[in-house]
Amino acid sequence: MTAVVEVPVTFDDRAFEAFATALAAAGPGARVLVDAHATEWASPFGLVSLLCAGQAVRERTGSKALLTVPADKDVAAYWARTGFFQEAEELFEIHGAVPKVRQPPENTVLLEVTPVRVAGDVHKVVDRIQDRSAAILATELGLEAKATLSFGMALSEACQNIVEHAGTGGWVAVHAYTWRRRLGKRVVVIAVADPGVGFRRSLEPTQARRYGDRWGDGAALEAALIQGVSRFREPGRGQGFRGIRKYLDRWEGKISIRSGTARIAMVRDWDEDVPLREGLAPFPGAQLQLVIPAQAEAEP
Amino acid sequence: MIAQIDVRAVLSRSVCEFHNDLVTRSTGRAVRSGIEAHLQEHPDVTVVVLDFSAVRVLDCSCADEVVAQLLLRTEPGAERGRSTYFVVRGLDEVHADQIDEVLRRHGLTLVAEERGGTKRLLGLATGPMRTAWEKVVSHGSAVAEDLASELSWPVDDARRALDDLAGHRLVMRADAQYLPLTAA
Repeated sequence: MTAVVEVPVTFDDRAFEAFATALAAAGPGARVLVDAHATEWASPFGLVSLLCAGQAVRERTGSKALLTVPADKDVAAYWARTGFFQEAEELFEIHGAVPKVRQPPENTVLLEVTPVRVAGDVHKVVDRIQDRSAAILATELGLEAKATLSFGMALSEACQNIVEHAGTGGWVAVHAYTWRRRLGKRVVVIAVADPGVGFRRSLEPTQARRYGDRWGDGAALEAALIQGVSRFREPGRGQGFRGIRKYLDRWEGKISIRSGTARIAMVRDWDEDVPLREGLAPFPGAQLQLVIPAQAEAEP
Repeated sequence: MIAQIDVRAVLSRSVCEFHNDLVTRSTGRAVRSGIEAHLQEHPDVTVVVLDFSAVRVLDCSCADEVVAQLLLRTEPGAERGRSTYFVVRGLDEVHADQIDEVLRRHGLTLVAEERGGTKRLLGLATGPMRTAWEKVVSHGSAVAEDLASELSWPVDDARRALDDLAGHRLVMRADAQYLPLTAA
């Protein structure tokens, strides 16, 4: 029997919960069809999360999930230009025509979907983003030139969570686009996701006893993001999220992380998110999103 | 003896010649090992200037490994401890922020020279330490009595501030005189 998991029409971090719930309901042994034929748009968070789902299903069932390509040719072409299908073909049995990429990604794609497994991958990611992002961050988002260097720092720290803690590989993607419904501004969005052990299992050996009955996915996310706790005991550890938060504070940016059955967010005035949600559908690993909005002086 | 170490060149030798960025903890470890190896080969070096001019991105994890861990491992009394003084040079504002943050987390302090030539202390230092350090740098040297007189401090307070600076390897002490790290 095949369980059908629909990819939402607009697949971003909010719509992700419906997707995760459907995937969890598929059960451990069922063949899974990830149905994206009706999907009209996917954020970088949606794209890298889909890859996590594909890897998780393959590990769980021993066979690739099926994936239907978006029926809308423009949508499918966009997914192709983001580099999604290049990674997806390893994880999914793809059904439908995958457009050939004949042109480089438009400048909305600052970084294609890129695998992150080892420290050298983080170097490549930072190197690529520095070259591509400077102009966009300055002209479209109104960030100072030095913000580009901090942007590389934030991206590096976000990716290192995979290398240091996930226990498996993951992916990163960075896009710039207009967030009409939620903000009415241009934003740059960094999405980093892995289907690994997640924050709770990573921190459990050193933190679970300290939290007692309160220990769980939500407590683990709070420990990592708010208190800067790391699974490593050395005093210099856990500084990555501190650095990311400082950068986001400077530019009114937002971070949200989903791991296991919980999701945490540093909510800004411009957003309607909630700081912590628990009891969500289980989803493997960790999925992180950074949003940097255009500043007031940015070009329209 | 003063040694200037181009951190970007160490990165190139230790990790990859094509990398411009000091990112990831493992890269930081490799670069720090390269610096430590250089110091082992040159035991006569007392002041080490770490030059970041050619470094583009520096992240927190790498700053922790390259700078904070290097200071900790060369503290007098540490396994590799010896009387080595460190200065960081060629920092842009973003680099300085990262290094300041990691030093504070460890309770460390370091003399820094930013790309414009401005010298300042990064990390954790008391107000009297910062004031005394600025006087030592601007005058080229200081003794406790003169500092106390100039700042209208009790002599004991002036001496304590100068001793704290020497204890944190931010100035050199020569008898009653306190000297700035000459390379700074």
